[in-house]
Amino acid sequence: MAPSSTEHPRRRHAIDLDDFSSTEIEEILTTAESMKEVLSREIKQVPALRGRTIVNMFYEDSTRTRISFELAARALSANIVNFSARGSSVEKGESLVDTVRTLQALGADIVVIRHSQAGAPYLVARHFRGSVINAGDGRHAHPTQALLDLFTIRERLGQIHGVHVLILGDIIHSRVARSNLWGLTRMGARVTLCGPATLLGPPAYWTATWPEVRVSYHLDEVLSSADVVMALRLQKERQQAGLLPSLREYTRLYGLNPERLARLGERVLIMHPGPMNEGVEISPEAATAPNAVIEEQVTNGVAVRMALLYRLAG
Amino acid sequence: MRYLIRNGSIIDPTQRVATVGDVLVTDGKVERLFEIADRAAEQHMVGDDVEIIDARGAVVAPGFTDLHAYLRQPGEEHKETIASGTLAAAHGGFTTVCAMPTVYPTHDTAATVRLVQELARREGHVHVDVVGALTVGREGRALADLAELAEAGCIAFSDGDRALSDSALMRHALTYAAALGLPVMSLGQEARLSAGWAMHEGAVSTRLGLPGFPAAAEEALIARDIALAELTGAHLHICQVSTAGGVSLIRAARARGVRVTADVSPHHLTLTDRWVLGSLAAHDPPPPPQSRPGRKRSPHPELGLPSWFDATRLPPYDPSTRVCPPLRTEEDLEALAEGLRDGTIDAIATGHSPQSRVEKECEYGLAAPGISGLETALALVLSLVHRGEMDLVDLVARLTEGPAQVLDRSPATLRPGARADIVIFDPDATWTVDATRFVSRGQNTPLHGQRLKGQVLLTMAGGRIVFRRDRAGTPEAAPAP
Amino acid sequence: MSEQKQIMTADEIRRALVRIAHEIDERNGGLADVVLVGIRRRGAPLAERIAAAIADFEGLRVPVGYLDITLYRDDLKLRGPVPLVRKTDIQTDITGKVVVLVDDVLYTGRTVRAALDALTDLGRPDRIQLAVLVDRGHRELPIRADFVGKNVPTARAERIEVHLREAGDEADEVVIVRPR
Repeated sequence: MAPSSTEHPRRRHAIDLDDFSSTEIEEILTTAESMKEVLSREIKQVPALRGRTIVNMFYEDSTRTRISFELAARALSANIVNFSARGSSVEKGESLVDTVRTLQALGADIVVIRHSQAGAPYLVARHFRGSVINAGDGRHAHPTQALLDLFTIRERLGQIHGVHVLILGDIIHSRVARSNLWGLTRMGARVTLCGPATLLGPPAYWTATWPEVRVSYHLDEVLSSADVVMALRLQKERQQAGLLPSLREYTRLYGLNPERLARLGERVLIMHPGPMNEGVEISPEAATAPNAVIEEQVTNGVAVRMALLYRLAG
Repeated sequence: MRYLIRNGSIIDPTQRVATVGDVLVTDGKVERLFEIADRAAEQHMVGDDVEIIDARGAVVAPGFTDLHAYLRQPGEEHKETIASGTLAAAHGGFTTVCAMPTVYPTHDTAATVRLVQELARREGHVHVDVVGALTVGREGRALADLAELAEAGCIAFSDGDRALSDSALMRHALTYAAALGLPVMSLGQEARLSAGWAMHEGAVSTRLGLPGFPAAAEEALIARDIALAELTGAHLHICQVSTAGGVSLIRAARARGVRVTADVSPHHLTLTDRWVLGSLAAHDPPPPPQSRPGRKRSPHPELGLPSWFDATRLPPYDPSTRVCPPLRTEEDLEALAEGLRDGTIDAIATGHSPQSRVEKECEYGLAAPGISGLETALALVLSLVHRGEMDLVDLVARLTEGPAQVLDRSPATLRPGARADIVIFDPDATWTVDATRFVSRGQNTPLHGQRLKGQVLLTMAGGRIVFRRDRAGTPEAAPAP
Repeated sequence: MSEQKQIMTADEIRRALVRIAHEIDERNGGLADVVLVGIRRRGAPLAERIAAAIADFEGLRVPVGYLDITLYRDDLKLRGPVPLVRKTDIQTDITGKVVVLVDDVLYTGRTVRAALDALTDLGRPDRIQLAVLVDRGHRELPIRADFVGKNVPTARAERIEVHLREAGDEADEVVIVRPR
């Protein structure tokens, strides 16, 4: 067989999308399409990563992301081990670096890390000879979520370039928003951030890094031009912390309710990274609307994570 | 013992002297300065029984005073001891160090103050002054026995790296300290506004998703403390001012006669929050200035950040860049340099905060703040001189005369009869920072591997040589104290 | 430096594929259960051409699918570039069928081994056969082709290149590239 004509240099870590080119993102999404085909088979497994060991290192609970990586790893025939902070040496005060060194010694090839502290994956990468995939660190980044969002948009709308994406809600605390900002802007989408001022911060904080991004505090002014509305989870603690007057007011001003759903039209995608607070940032009607792709996002997550794992270790 | 320091460029801000000449030191005191024209008199006076120190091409100045350093003893000797901290001071050209009360137990009784004084007398390489605790246990609830601490020799009061939240208690502390004639040192950090902080709040913290310490959190506390100083007539000293707003508040207060002094640390004068980006900063251009109303844009966007410092050598989120108050922005650097030039900021103080590896080799937000600063302080602040932002004599004044004025004492000087606290440094010598060779136990510095310009050659404290670098550039073994 | 020599012209390729189409028909006593599966990338257009040839003489359209074996390869390295994964697209159920794998060059046999694994995951064919345009020898596995366009003795250092218009090449031809 002739060698594959398209080849790219190997990437070692996937910590944020800031160092991904549009070509590389494009290639990952294309690979993810092939992975999605594999997942549609009766035997949902290929031997690509047979013999490789992947460790899911979860310092923060996240059942859906952890399972998604687990399924992705298994579909590629890798060995995957779950390490959760609870019930491990972490509770005895072992430092992150010590834990990484231990996993290194045990022969892990890829570490998938979820951590409450922004930047923790960079620390892991400095002490680990294999690859590191960020499965969410503090408010910083969640690159695989952004990739699966890009995949879903591309699959549904045919392209990402020129699409207007409205990211809605608790932006300032959201790693999903930040990684999507990198991914969407790099792929040529237009992005508007919308939410209450207390959950957004000064626009200049955002435009300094992402000059193209628009910031709005008024959902009804920006809703009509959106092709995609990505609602973010609102944690109820934000109200207790004094960032919001009341959840009722939030829902009235920023909730995706049936009235706004009607104004959006049927071709506008409704997305949510989950888990949802139904009745707060999104109404049950919006979550189950025909143009809501929230479950597809979950399905696509496995394919995208397969593509990324393969790219790092294949 | 007599020393003749020959052919140095003598800079003594107290005498407004900047000339080439010799300094004669006899029995721990400065005996005389000789200008070149005085050579005949010199030979007659000096005789043969003297050690000649060649200072050709170097600056000879009064020894530096550090208004606050964390020496960690007693209680955290794995981070630093009085012996190692004062040796680091000697390597940095400092002949007096004020020891902050962030120790265990703290300096809230005469007994612990005497313990530190005794340790310093026995094991210290340079003079150590003790800053007494402001409140019992530095807990911010009840005033420490301030008069007892003053009698024991404390030169100021402070809760160290903790700001006093209770405004009423701060008022009482200022009132009480004023009656004792001593300053209260305060760190500008409003607790609630900076809760959970990891770095400066702004574009970089937003990009990195790190919780911010807004400039307003510093300014709010400085404003409160200034109002209380005005109310009480006390002497307030702001430690480590880091924001443009803080400088403006202090400048305005001084203009209307409030007794407020301030210091700034070398890293706040030279490093920005972009150092937290580390290698991530390599790929994108510096962000446009954050628009804060009423701020004017600098004509020198890179002011204070010499081109030979390279933040991108660091990995992203390197905990060595975490310091309290946090590294700020270019605009703040510019305002701090301006404040230092015009005298709004009296002194450069290191805020030397040695940390062990355990406290720093961890997640950014969990890392203990602090930079081990004594050994790089001079070279960092000399960058202002090398960039033409500041006059060398003024800079030396902020390391000698300025801190002395804050402490209301006669400054280190090269006047005849003065205690021979002297530093000799080469302002143009370039060297590469190797934190593993620090004499401080704290190797926590973001400057590891950076090229710096300006190096201490010799430090003399009370007429004794406490540090001397051989001409090949490596320090000689520390002399026994 | 290298030198390049043509070993099959466009017409020779065409005739070889027509012959293979007839052989597939004869070997299987008809084409009712035959599915052609091209191995990506250059096996895919070859499978199409064989199907077209069959359509010409039998008036029958045999199903054609495409197989990407990247995820089944055993020669992936931890260093160096990663090959792009393309989509496997086989619309027909292959269970109980005669699958004819189609590839451009048969060399070590490792690609075919991977393709056999991939097919097994997709279903259980009655028989699997192999058609290649060029067999250049140097097998590393016990694998042989059932239908061969041309046998070309080669040295290991040489390279066989199959150029096809569908793959973006300028003309149809097979060349042998010799290092000099």
